[in-house]
Amino acid sequence: MLADTWYLFNKYVKISMRMPLWSLFSLIQPLIWLFIFGSLFEYFADLPGFPAETYIDYFVPGVLIMTVLFGSSWAGVSLLREISAGTVDKMLVSPASRSAIVLSRVLHSAVQVVIQASIVLVAAWMMGATTSYNPIYILLAMSVILLLGIAFAALSNGLAIMLQREEPLVIMGNLMTMPLMFFSSAMVPEKFMPEWIHAIGIVNPIEYAVTAVRSILAAEPDLNGFATGFGVTFLFSAATLYWAISAFKTYRD
Amino acid sequence: MISIKNLNKTYASGALAVNQLSLNVSAGEILALLGPNGAGKSSTIRVLTTLSGFDEGEVTVAGFNVDSEQEKVRQSIGYVAQETGVDYFLTGRENLTLQGHLYRMTKKDITSRIDELANYFELTDVLDNLVSNYSGGMRRKLDIATALIHRPKTLFLDEPTLGLDTPSRQSLWQYIRKLNDEFSLTILLTTHYLEEADKLANRVAIIHKGQIKIIDKPEKLKDEIRGDVVSLQFSKPENKNQIAEALGRNDFVKDQKWEQDKLHLYVSNGATSIPRLIESCSELNCNVENVSYSRPTLDDVFIQYTGSSIDASESDSENKWWEKWAGKGGGGKWAQKWQEDQPDESTTDSQWTTEEAEQWHKNKQWSKDETAQWQDNKQWSKEESAAWHEDQNQDQNENQNQNTSNPPEQANSKTNSWPENNEWKENSNQQWDNSDNKKWPDGSDK
Repeated sequence: MLADTWYLFNKYVKISMRMPLWSLFSLIQPLIWLFIFGSLFEYFADLPGFPAETYIDYFVPGVLIMTVLFGSSWAGVSLLREISAGTVDKMLVSPASRSAIVLSRVLHSAVQVVIQASIVLVAAWMMGATTSYNPIYILLAMSVILLLGIAFAALSNGLAIMLQREEPLVIMGNLMTMPLMFFSSAMVPEKFMPEWIHAIGIVNPIEYAVTAVRSILAAEPDLNGFATGFGVTFLFSAATLYWAISAFKTYRD
Repeated sequence: MISIKNLNKTYASGALAVNQLSLNVSAGEILALLGPNGAGKSSTIRVLTTLSGFDEGEVTVAGFNVDSEQEKVRQSIGYVAQETGVDYFLTGRENLTLQGHLYRMTKKDITSRIDELANYFELTDVLDNLVSNYSGGMRRKLDIATALIHRPKTLFLDEPTLGLDTPSRQSLWQYIRKLNDEFSLTILLTTHYLEEADKLANRVAIIHKGQIKIIDKPEKLKDEIRGDVVSLQFSKPENKNQIAEALGRNDFVKDQKWEQDKLHLYVSNGATSIPRLIESCSELNCNVENVSYSRPTLDDVFIQYTGSSIDASESDSENKWWEKWAGKGGGGKWAQKWQEDQPDESTTDSQWTTEEAEQWHKNKQWSKDETAQWQDNKQWSKEESAAWHEDQNQDQNENQNQNTSNPPEQANSKTNSWPENNEWKENSNQQWDNSDNKKWPDGSDK
């Protein structure tokens, strides 16, 4: 299974390398948000009780998570393309491990969003954001991003198998990402949220990922906060991955 | 090599795909499943290749049960799907290598096998080009090569030449036959091209509505019909039974089959029986529009066993994605109404009355594609096109912008009366009047 995953992962990497422009395009959105929200909410930081020096400092973890959401939530679309192109059938008639087919796709999307998130982080630094520069902490933050990327890519791939059609898949993608993001503290500190939104945050996996990244990238990293967030994100991605693989295994008409 | 006993398969949508199908393919044989789209060919092949589950039946491939020994079946077969299964963004070599890895071959083995296959399919020169730059025929060859990388003994080809032009199709047939000759590969292919089944297969199985109607060598199937086939096209026959009975009284008529308004008669000698058949028809006061007779083809065999021509029974009933969603979310009623309001597109030309056809033409807005397709379908005689042309030139001289001429009507076809709206005329101006260098549909120069 691992060997199959590796060969298929390589295939997807090769394909992305041959269309680097597309990876670049999906970077544009988080960069624009970094810029727009960074400027729009600049004076938030003047409010009493705002938890960071400047708004952009606060927003960086949020925009990193947004990069993940927008980079991997539509990963299933290309699975549908592959199904209709016949390449999935080609894999399925071979003895290749079924889990490897899902795993390689999901890993590929997750690695892609880690690279994108790294670029966004550098861009944020260039716009004057300050975070922890400790390479270990940055790596830990990226590990959360990898896990969340796996989770959303797995969700999207699993939904693709269930829905079998692009249009509803894209609708579901939108439905998943947008509200989850606004129901988290990605852009607005918890303190400023209405009570009910805060309550929803408790069951929002994105909230935990944002907290984990924010805790570890803070000037004074909060390792406990990170550990909780990391743990929940890990469980979330394991569960979604399991679900996607079993959805794929039952994919047989 | 392949054995199917009483296979039943129903899709989740409730559509019955395969109905009590039994079939044996012996080692080293090419067997063609011949049938229109939706007959159950692909469903059968998907069961055999472990891609689909099934409800009932006993299916073994290469001695392994497709249900309980999937891994072993997969290891011993090659499968080429209707859609090209090769990745467009990889090179030919990368596609082959990946496939080799998935079949757990060693690196060394993969390299040598790729050389072998590239040589065989004459792909060596393009092996390191991206597949997106390949022609349709090359892609199909690469697809077959990837299916053969692990040296399977059985090969499944689902519509192997679908969408290919005639030269590529014929060249592919040669490769397929060679594979069978030289490596005694067992090949099960599906097709809805009669010619393909006729030329390629050792045996042909005619499949219709999920069942095998007859299975035999193509020559034998055609021999069984013996004699000629006379087809009489009637205009709106009201008394089909009466016609059939009256014509059947002629002792030279061995069998007959209605296909919509067309009656196919299997007779011992076409040339001598036509006058007598026409006579019988005029006694009955029914109007024969068109008569044709031919030596039997596989299509006649097909009509004999299924009651319809292979082209007429085309239906895309399999796996319509929207059926799953139709009626959910409140759209059902609306969709139904819309469907009722649609003109019935399946109506074939031959069923139209002259008035209907004229009416239709008046109402229809012709798109460019349609005009082009019409052009392709129409058989122009030289005289017709010359006459039309003369008209056209005159008109052009008289008035550059106002084109009022019509091309000549073809004698017995109602579909080519010309639409009378300006949009179409614009098309005709663009495509024909101004194209001095264009060949005419009959191949003649202007």
